[in-house]
Amino acid sequence: MYDYVTGKLDWLAAGLPSEGTNAERPRAGDVARSDVPTCQMDERLGDVRERVRAAGWEACVVVNEERVVLGLLRSKELEANPELRIEEAMRPGPSTFRPFVSVDEMATFMIEHDLESAPITTSDGRLVGLLKREDAARVALELRQAERTEPKDRGRP
Amino acid sequence: MTDQAAELSCSACDAGIDRCEFCEETDCAKPVCYECMTVALGQVLRQPHVHGG
Repeated sequence: MYDYVTGKLDWLAAGLPSEGTNAERPRAGDVARSDVPTCQMDERLGDVRERVRAAGWEACVVVNEERVVLGLLRSKELEANPELRIEEAMRPGPSTFRPFVSVDEMATFMIEHDLESAPITTSDGRLVGLLKREDAARVALELRQAERTEPKDRGRP
Repeated sequence: MTDQAAELSCSACDAGIDRCEFCEETDCAKPVCYECMTVALGQVLRQPHVHGG
């Protein structure tokens, strides 16, 4: 048996401040949208879909009372029978990503895998926000353009 | 997502997997296993040994 002891990665995953060269680079948690609609397992899909689309979204994160991610409704799942309960319609246990992951890496993976959105959570599964592919790709492109125009010896003594 | 398990192999380490851990699809063109994905994204550090000693 092992006792889990939190470490450096948990510090970063909780969104706590860090320093060093990489601390200045945008991360998934900075770009993820925290205003993503959420719903509970026992709601009706038709009601949730209406609420989600009225807010201008095509995705909804299923959470419990402690905001721990239980499932995800992307555009495909939102199209299902409106009478279904969320528990029946959702994509259960979706892959989640930590807030400190580089936006550049996430954008590359999301484009390669044609993934429209990715939930960002802390180490204990609490929702930070939903990272949209278009946001990740835009920020990654801006970052690359900025790095191209900066002098290469930046930061060297 | 389908219930049918696909025979995939990780595009990074060649390990057999049922689905891509990044996009959760069984027909992913560049499937990746959980370990390779988390290491590539910097979510974990690859351990030098499988044991603690």
